[in-house]
Amino acid sequence: MSTYAQQTAENVTLPTSLDEAVAALAAMPSAVPVAGGTDLMASVNAGLLRPAALVGLGRIAEIRGWQYADGAALLGAGLTHARMGRPDFAALIPALAAAARSAGPPQIRNAGTLGGNIVSAAPTGDALPVLAALEASVILAGPEADREIPVSHLLTGMDPLRPGELLAFVRIPLLHAPQTFLKATGRTGPGRAVASVALVVDPARRQVRCAVGAVAQVPLRPLEAEQWVAGLIDWDGERNLAPEACTAFGEYVAAACIPDQPGVELPPAAVQLRRTVAALSRRALGRALA
Amino acid sequence: MSVIDGPGAVTESLAGGGTPHGIGTSLPSADAPAKTQGTYPYAADLWAEGLLWAAVLRSPYPHARIVRIDTGEAAAMPGVRAVLTHEDVPGDAMHGRLVADRPVFAKDIVRHHGEPIAAVAADHPDTARLAAAAILVEYEVLEPVTDPEKAFAAEPLHPDGNLIRHIPLRFGDPDTVGEVIVEGLYRVGRQDPAPIGAEAGLAVPRPDGGVELYVASTDPHADRDIAAACFGLEADHVKVVVTGVPGAMGDREDSGIQLPLGLLALRTGCPVKFVATREESFLGHAHRHPTLLRYRHHADAEGRLVKVEAQILLDAGAYADASSDALAAAVAFAAGPYVVPHVFVEGWAVRTNNPPSGHVRGEGALQVCTAYEGQMDKLAAKLGLEPAEIRMRNVLATGDLLPTGQSVTCPAPVGELLKAVRDADLPPLPDGDDESQWLLPGGTSGAGEPGAVRRGVGYALGMVHVLGAEGTDEVSTATVRVHDGRATVICAAVETGQGFTTLARQIVQEVLGVEDVRVLPSDTDQPPAGPAARGRHTWVSGGAVERAAKMVRTQLLQPLAAKFGMSVELLTIADGKITSYDGVLSTTVAETLDGKELWATAQCRPHPTDRLDETGQGDAFVGLTFCAIRAVVDVDIELGAVRVVELAVAQDVGRVLNPRQLAARIEAGVTQGVGLALMEDLRAPRGIVKRPSLTGYALPTALDAPEVRIVKLVEERDVVAPFGAKAVSAVPVVTSPAAVAAAVRAATGRPISRLPIRPQAAIVKPPA
Repeated sequence: MSTYAQQTAENVTLPTSLDEAVAALAAMPSAVPVAGGTDLMASVNAGLLRPAALVGLGRIAEIRGWQYADGAALLGAGLTHARMGRPDFAALIPALAAAARSAGPPQIRNAGTLGGNIVSAAPTGDALPVLAALEASVILAGPEADREIPVSHLLTGMDPLRPGELLAFVRIPLLHAPQTFLKATGRTGPGRAVASVALVVDPARRQVRCAVGAVAQVPLRPLEAEQWVAGLIDWDGERNLAPEACTAFGEYVAAACIPDQPGVELPPAAVQLRRTVAALSRRALGRALA
Repeated sequence: MSVIDGPGAVTESLAGGGTPHGIGTSLPSADAPAKTQGTYPYAADLWAEGLLWAAVLRSPYPHARIVRIDTGEAAAMPGVRAVLTHEDVPGDAMHGRLVADRPVFAKDIVRHHGEPIAAVAADHPDTARLAAAAILVEYEVLEPVTDPEKAFAAEPLHPDGNLIRHIPLRFGDPDTVGEVIVEGLYRVGRQDPAPIGAEAGLAVPRPDGGVELYVASTDPHADRDIAAACFGLEADHVKVVVTGVPGAMGDREDSGIQLPLGLLALRTGCPVKFVATREESFLGHAHRHPTLLRYRHHADAEGRLVKVEAQILLDAGAYADASSDALAAAVAFAAGPYVVPHVFVEGWAVRTNNPPSGHVRGEGALQVCTAYEGQMDKLAAKLGLEPAEIRMRNVLATGDLLPTGQSVTCPAPVGELLKAVRDADLPPLPDGDDESQWLLPGGTSGAGEPGAVRRGVGYALGMVHVLGAEGTDEVSTATVRVHDGRATVICAAVETGQGFTTLARQIVQEVLGVEDVRVLPSDTDQPPAGPAARGRHTWVSGGAVERAAKMVRTQLLQPLAAKFGMSVELLTIADGKITSYDGVLSTTVAETLDGKELWATAQCRPHPTDRLDETGQGDAFVGLTFCAIRAVVDVDIELGAVRVVELAVAQDVGRVLNPRQLAARIEAGVTQGVGLALMEDLRAPRGIVKRPSLTGYALPTALDAPEVRIVKLVEERDVVAPFGAKAVSAVPVVTSPAAVAAAVRAATGRPISRLPIRPQAAIVKPPA
C-alpha cells in the first residue's frame, strides 16, 4: 500500500487584500499566515512544523509599502528587509534601514519582512530593538475590529496576537533627528547578533531612547541610563557630550541589561557580553551626537 | 605564464589563439558550464523507476547501552518496505578504513551521537523518516567520555581499547637545554568538512544478486571492498559508480549512508535513494581531529632552535578511521619546516564519545602548525626579534633531516618562500574620509569603529606530506585510448572538484597532440586509482595517464618512424599533426590511425615508504610540500572582532600545471583555513552535537574571505614526481590558520593559543 494516497494537497490561500486575508484566517483557524517564510519554511523543512493550511501574504499590495500619517510613518508589515535598506527609506528611518541591511545575506533580506521579524520575535531579530527604541506601535487587523498596541506589548506577550488576527502595519514616529543601530556578530559576513543596540535622539521630547537586542528574550530598555544621559545634554545648544560621558553611558546601559547577581560572580561569557554592550552603546551614543 | 600575473594573464591566454591546451595552460574545466548552469547531475539528482526512500535512525546519545530494539511498529506502517538493524547485516558486522572497529549498525553499545542504529526503506521520504522515528530503542544511558585526557584512564569504550595509537618520537639528545625556553598550550577545535552539496546516494539491485551504489565517493574501490564485505558478497558483485561530487574536503558519504543503502536495496529488490539532511551530514561524516598540544621550545641566544619537546593529543572520536595517519603527520611535522637538532614528541590518538574524526585535508599537520608557529612567535617576543627574522634563522632546506630521521630530498625552498611573503608590499590602509566605505571588523553591520581598530601582521610556515605515508601502497592505473583523432582517458581517480579531469586532459593533449580529450566517469569496473586525497591524483593518477599516453604515442609513431627510417623521438605531434624534425614528413594523427584504435594502460607506483618505528623514526613520506603565508588582520580591540584583510601566499609547487586551477586551489584552501581560524568549530558539549546546521556552524562567506594574494610560486621541480609537480591543495589549509593567529597576536599583544579565535581572546582590556 502506498502512503502517497494518504497525503492531501496542501491548502494554500493567496488573498490579495487584508480583508480577504482576515476572512481566510477566520474560515480556517488552523491556517498559518506566511510572508517571507524565512523562519517558517525552515521549521517546516526541519519537520518541526506541519501547518494544516497556509495563508500567503505576498500578494497583499497594501502592506508592502508605506505611507505618512500625522507625523508618523505607517509601514506595511510586508515590507522586505531589502526594501527597507534602500536609501529613500534610510532617509526616513535610518536606524531601521541599518538594521534591515544587517539582517542576513541578500537572499534572506529579499524575502524576509518587517512583520515576520516582529511576529517570529526571535531574540536576535534585528528590527526589534529599533522598534523598541522608536516606541513604535503595531496595528493588528482582526475579524471584529482593528486595534493598535505598542510593539513592546506584543513582543513581551503582555498583549499577544489573538486568534484570527494579522499584523498589518507598524506606526513609527518620524523624529528628524539622529538615530543609530549597531550590531556585533563576531564575523565579517552576515550573522546573527551577539548583541545589538538601537539608539534614537528625540529632540522634541528631549529624550534619548536606547534598546539592546539579542541579550534577552525581548529588547531591553535601560530607562534610567536614558534619563541620566538626556539630563546631561544641552538640548538648546550643541547637543554633544564629552567622551567620558559616552563611556559612562555605555557602562550604565551594560550593567542595566546584564545585571549583577547578588552574591554570585558573573560568568566570563556574561562579562564579555557586558563589555560588548558597553562598547556598542558608547559608540551608538557617540555617533548619534557627533 | 604565471598566476602571479593575476587574472588578466589568464584572460589573455584564453583570448590569444584558440583554446589553451597542454601542460601549463589554464585549460578550463569541462564541467564548468554544466555546474554553473545547474545541469550537472549530483547524487541528490539521481532517479530510478520505482525507487524507495531510505532513512537512518541515529543515536540521540553519545554513549549508551542498547537494551532492546523493537522494529515491529515501524515495519507495520503502511508504505514501509524494510527495516534493518544489526541483525540484518549478512556479512562482516564491523568495518573501517585501516582497522575494522566500526559496526554497520550499533549492536550493544552506541559510542557517539548520531551513530546509525537502524535503517528504513519506504515509498516516500517522509514515511521513511516517520518509520525510523517509530522504531523503539530502549537505551541505558552511560556516562560519555568526552575529555580526551580522561580517555587513558577511562573504562574501555571499545573492545580494542581507548588508545588508538601512540608514537613516541626520539631524535637527538634528551638532556640538551637551550638558553631560552618558551612553553605553550594550544587547542584546535573541531572543523567540519561541510561539503556544500547534500550527501546522497542511490543503490540499485542487480539481477545477479549484486548491487550498484551510485554515490559521490572519493575512494570508490575502498568503499566497494568495505561494502562487499558487509553485504557478504564477492567484490565483483558490488559496483560503486561515482556520481558528481559536490565538494569534498575529506571523506564524503560516510559508511552510515552507503552501507544501509546497499543493504536496503538487496533486501527489497528495489532501487533505494537516500538524501541526508544537513543535520545528519554533520552527525555522520568525519571531522577534523580536535587537538590539545603542549610545547616547549629551546633556542640559543641568537634564536636558533636547539630542542623541541611536544605532547600531542588527538581526539579520534569513537572509531579509529584515519587517526593513525593523522597522528603520524602530527608527530613527524611537530617542529615544522625548521632545522631542530633535538626533538622529543609524545603523540597519542585516543577514543572518546565525541563526534568521529577522520580524514579532512591537512589532518595532523594543521594542528601542529598552529602550535609550533605560536611557539616561534613566543620565542621572537622573548628574544626581541622580528617574527619573520627568527623563522628565517631556522628554515629547513633540501638535505636537512626531519625529526623522523628522514632526509629531505625534494626541493624545500622554505627560506625563499618566507622571503617572498616578507618582502611583498603590505596592503594599503583604507584611505578617504568616507568611513562608511571601509570594511571594518564586524562587517557591514556598522558596529566597527576606526579608532578601535588595530592592524596586525603575522607569519606562518607550513608543511605537509604528499601521498599516503608509512608504507601505504600508493598506486594508480589509467588507460588512454585514441580513435578518430580523439582521445579518451579511463581512470578511477575521482574528480572531486580538485581538477583531476582537467589535468588528465592537459596531459594527454601534451603527449599526444590531440586536442579533443574526454575523461570517462569513474566506477569500480575500472582498475583502482585510490582515494582522492593528499594530492595523490596529481602524482599517481597523473603519472599513470602520462605513461599510458606515452605508450599510445609510441604505438602511433612506431610504424611511421620505421617506414621513414628514423627514431620515434624525431617526430613531434602538435595540433593533430605529425611532423618530423626536418619537416620532410608531415601527416595527421587521423590519417596515421587510419580507422584503427590504439589503447594502452599503465600504472604509476612511487617508491615505497616505511612505517614510523617505536621511536618515531623512518622514511615515511614520499614527498613534502611547503608554504609561507603572511596574514594582515584588522582587529576591533574592544569587540574582539577580526577581519582578515589579506593573506599573501608563497608556495612550493614544483611546477605549475594549470595556473588558473592552481590559484583556485590556493584560494579555496586558504579560505578553509581562515574558517577554522575564526569561526568553524562544531561544538559538542558532553558529546552532543550542538546546532548541526549551516546557521549554527558558520562558514566563511564572501565577506569573511580575505583577499588572497599569491606572491610567489616556486617552480623547483621535484625530480621523482611526474612533471616535477607537487600537490597544492592541502598546504595552504595547513598554514593559513597559524598565520591568522600570528597576525591577531601581533595586533592585540594577546596570546592566541586556541582556534577558532574567540572574540574575548582578541579584546585588549583598557589599562585600569
